[in-house]
Amino acid sequence: MGHVMTAYLLPCLWACLACVGFGLVFNIQGIGVVICGLGAGLGWMVYLVTMDMLGQDILSAFLAAMAIGAYSEVMARLRRCPVTGYLQVALLPLVPGAGIYHAMQYCVAGETQLFLASLLHTFGFAAALSVGAMLITSILRALLPRLHWGGR
Amino acid sequence: MDHNKLLNLGAELGRRLMASGAEIYRVEESVERLLSSYGAEAQVFAIPNCLIVSINTPQGQPLTRMCRIPAHGTDIELLERCNDLCRRLCRETPDVEQAQELVNRLDGDVRQLSPRVLTLGYVMTAAFFSLFFGGGWRDCLCAALCGLAVGACLLFGDWFTGSNLFFRTVICSAVAAGMAYGLVLAGIGQNLEAVTIGTLMVLVPGMALTNAMREIMAGDIFSGLNRTAEVILVATAIALGSAIPMVLARGL
Repeated sequence: MGHVMTAYLLPCLWACLACVGFGLVFNIQGIGVVICGLGAGLGWMVYLVTMDMLGQDILSAFLAAMAIGAYSEVMARLRRCPVTGYLQVALLPLVPGAGIYHAMQYCVAGETQLFLASLLHTFGFAAALSVGAMLITSILRALLPRLHWGGR
Repeated sequence: MDHNKLLNLGAELGRRLMASGAEIYRVEESVERLLSSYGAEAQVFAIPNCLIVSINTPQGQPLTRMCRIPAHGTDIELLERCNDLCRRLCRETPDVEQAQELVNRLDGDVRQLSPRVLTLGYVMTAAFFSLFFGGGWRDCLCAALCGLAVGACLLFGDWFTGSNLFFRTVICSAVAAGMAYGLVLAGIGQNLEAVTIGTLMVLVPGMALTNAMREIMAGDIFSGLNRTAEVILVATAIALGSAIPMVLARGL
């Protein structure tokens, strides 16, 4: 139980709280901030679990982005507001900040090979995120063209 | 109906949507729907810093308005309010004057968080991201301080960071990395990497990155490339800025 707590629940909690902070920066008001935070926690949970099962971080990022996309679309339709804010804030823990930082470190240290490798890996990760999140949006936009009750 | 006023209505709403950081397809679609619900056939074209709306009057006279969109951040509350208003106007189609009045009123109506709450947002983000990246409680405290400094630079530091996105980011990330280095050197923090990355997450252009990819997927390749360039610029600025203290420390 202690292992589950430190390996899974705590990181998700930190991701959730960090994204609540980010929600404030982007002027998200009221309950919306909490929705963003929960989305971020959910996304990171999916990432950790699929990472354990599959062991491939780019694929896990893709799946996590899909989960966040689906969650944000549902929330946007429930609250009848644009999906943009929820989606983008909830994706932030997955955005490879560490990747950019490490790439820069290698660059400064003159390790060109490591720099290029981590840079390309960062790009792949970011692309997986965007495609995953966008896939859900595209599917919904294709499937529900006549339903006007949702958050477009 | 006065088509000049109608055109102004569409352009003003679109301009506010753009300034809130909405995606291009949302802006184009919203303005087009708004104008078509008033019976005008509109052509709308938007790229990140320009919005062009054009309609034909029933007499066949073409009317066009272009708005230049200044550099802007993301304001989700404004976006939601514009979206709500747009739907309402499409549904109820009140007088054009009345609708324009409603659009103008948006500026004063949108709730803004006070600088204190915004600073709290930066502090929270930095502190919890440092825990997220494997820091301990002391690192969390350090990152909170760094986040406070970066937030203060972003919110109140216009006079020395300038309005240029690139240099602002360089300065902010140099401040973040320098403070993190100093605090760890002073023995307060333990995990330099967690503190630095946690603080830099405030500056990482995650929003712009996902936005860029969304634009490209939605078919607005030009806007997507425009934003991708912005992302690369900001990421380079972060890398440069956070390298400054490292290089200095190595030189000393």
